Amino acid sequence: MSSVLRSELPEPPAAAAPAVVDVVHETVYRYARPVELAQHMAFLRPRDDATQRVRAFELDIEPRPAQRSDTLDAFGNTRTLFALTAPHDALRVTARSRVQALPPPAPAAAPAWEDARARWRYVSGVAPEPAVPFVFASPLLPLHAALRAWAEPSFTPGRPLDEAALELMHRLHAGFRYDPDATHVGTPVLEAFERRAGVCQDFAHVMIAALRALGLAARYVSGYLLTEPPPGQPRLRGADASHAWVAVALPQPEGPGAWLELDPTNDCVAGPGHVRLATGRDYGDVTPLRGVIRGGSRHELAVSVDSQPAG
Amino acid sequence: MTTYDEMHAKAGTVREHYAAYGRWLADQPGDVMKSRRDEAEMIFRRVGITFAVYGAKDEDGSGTERLIPFDLIPRIIPAHEWREMEKGLKQRVTALNRFVHDVYHEQAILKAGIVPSEQVFRNAQFRPEMMGVAVAGDIYSHIAGIDIVRAANPDGSGTYYVLEDNLRVPSGVSYMLENRKMMMRLFPELFAGHRIAPVAHYPDLLLETLRAVAPSGVNEPSVVVLTPGMYNSAYFEHAFLAQQMGVELVEGKDLFVKDQYLYMRTTQGPRRVDVIYRRVDDDFLDPQVFRPDSTLGCAGLLGVYRAGNVTLCNAIGTGVADDKSIYPYVPKMIEFYLGEKPILNNVPTYLCREEGDLKYVLDHLDELVVKEVHGAGGYGMLVGPAATRAEVEAFRGALKANPSNYIAQPTLALSSCPTFVDSGIAPRHIDLRPFVLSGTTVQMVPGGLTRVALKEGSLVVNSSQGGGTKDTWVLEA
Repeated sequence: MSSVLRSELPEPPAAAAPAVVDVVHETVYRYARPVELAQHMAFLRPRDDATQRVRAFELDIEPRPAQRSDTLDAFGNTRTLFALTAPHDALRVTARSRVQALPPPAPAAAPAWEDARARWRYVSGVAPEPAVPFVFASPLLPLHAALRAWAEPSFTPGRPLDEAALELMHRLHAGFRYDPDATHVGTPVLEAFERRAGVCQDFAHVMIAALRALGLAARYVSGYLLTEPPPGQPRLRGADASHAWVAVALPQPEGPGAWLELDPTNDCVAGPGHVRLATGRDYGDVTPLRGVIRGGSRHELAVSVDSQPAG
Repeated sequence: MTTYDEMHAKAGTVREHYAAYGRWLADQPGDVMKSRRDEAEMIFRRVGITFAVYGAKDEDGSGTERLIPFDLIPRIIPAHEWREMEKGLKQRVTALNRFVHDVYHEQAILKAGIVPSEQVFRNAQFRPEMMGVAVAGDIYSHIAGIDIVRAANPDGSGTYYVLEDNLRVPSGVSYMLENRKMMMRLFPELFAGHRIAPVAHYPDLLLETLRAVAPSGVNEPSVVVLTPGMYNSAYFEHAFLAQQMGVELVEGKDLFVKDQYLYMRTTQGPRRVDVIYRRVDDDFLDPQVFRPDSTLGCAGLLGVYRAGNVTLCNAIGTGVADDKSIYPYVPKMIEFYLGEKPILNNVPTYLCREEGDLKYVLDHLDELVVKEVHGAGGYGMLVGPAATRAEVEAFRGALKANPSNYIAQPTLALSSCPTFVDSGIAPRHIDLRPFVLSGTTVQMVPGGLTRVALKEGSLVVNSSQGGGTKDTWVLEA
């Protein structure tokens, strides 16, 4: 059992998104029969990083778990483990976050994509770059020649990495159909690629796998996107959803390097309306909520996300 | 090609450590050996010392259980050779444990640029979930099986080489113990006439090791053996070791997690478990974290493990150090962590992911042994000199399609040992797997499991590929 969080197609982010966003992310499981014992793992606390600060965070779990621990995982995400040991026929997990977007840093320099690739290669006696763990195949993203062949036309010799990656994103957005019925949470990346359809998770996976097939470093970002209602209409609670996009590593002449965040679902660079929850090699590293239960029989799942400007 | 025989020196003379055995063997009529062999087979069958072959079916389409052929002629190791090998094994396993700890903490050896970080990050056995997890005593591979061969040098002498390290769930130790019991039963007079180092205390050492790495604060640790169940190829061994140690044999469904502790269901109610000797692969240990479809493990186990309330033997993520592509770097690990020169030799290895190495391998396929980086059990390998033209060409295609999946090594002239086969006594190739136990100290019983390739000329000793076993004698000087 794992919670299935799929994105609805959001509008591209507004140009001037507010600096502080409140997000309420609620997941409800209703079980046909009581669950006797459950172990869950959640990645629901937004990240503190160069782009954003978490001003407030609250994770409510009903019923109250017998144990709960919050620790950092290998990628710097907050991982919450909790166990329910009393019989229960529903589980409600509500994450409330207030996140402040930080002023965007000075634009990073972008080397030619081949030079970036060379930076990820091993040199005897030299420390590896921090992005190196994101160059290789990961559990959900094996490397495929087909993805490499698809990406190659955008990566002409000597082309700056940001320019090439942007074009790849445009091509992905133009050539793929956003269709929640085309895939499910466990669809392999090659299948989504061959169908040229899927949701934000598939879009992100296809782009990451293609970049890695070229020897570049890319990681999966799970999070939220603040959406603007059509003019004159009130914001609908729960109309939003969790989202996913891609971060491409741009090696810098000095220091730990930069990440260029690209949202292929919306064909845009991630902006202040993008709230980062967790980042990893693929969806499997940062699944917002997954668990194992004993009992329960069938279950129904409802997920809602509401993000709005704080005020 | 020069060969090295464990029993016979060049001129057909018997080596000194085999002298007494050689005299005894010369006195044995052929039919006695034959009837002893039949007796051994009958006993093994009756006791049920078997292994299961995956994907194989008997004539009736059901059973997949096989006996591992047992050979009557022991492999004998002189005392001075074992002393050196034991030192080398302790050194190697200590360095490998330091490496696994380093990978999941500071990654100093990667930052120093000594081991390429891709060897870690592209390995599917690297477990980010283990980053920063403190394990008891900083030991990861409590039970290691190190495969060693002796190869002939051009001058006719022999050199021991480590062929591979098995740091996850090495099996075969039950055969080592049963082979010794069988030999003592069949040939008691030989044990009166030789000073052979005992091995029967292995289960005691194993239990001592497991108890030594119990979570801190636990005085009387409760130890269990976790098995995937009776369909696993090594199920006999799991049951055997649990019984020999006097601990419970459990399956995943017998375990549950409550209040950050691990319990097993018993007829007297739940009982705490402190140490698990697990014979289940990482992927199946905890469906909450690893494969969600696994029913062989226990949900929440990793949380208990992280909290330091249970010890897993071996630890999760040791596969990062026994991959065939990390093997070439083990001598450098020994120098890096211990500041010592490696005592045991590594076989020179070509990494097919490197362009230069790949070219060499493709040009010399008929001389080399090519192996899959993540393969095990002797599957997915090419023994160049023994392969047909067609096999070589088929492998060339696979190699070109996915070079980084392969490594290659020169074909070693594996040493041979006289073996009782249908045509009489003939030399067959052998290897050796000592079992190294790491707890408060690093210890092992003398020798290990000797495997023998029963097919004439074959170099594949794996039991799933028609290999057999021998008793291994380490002589006490």
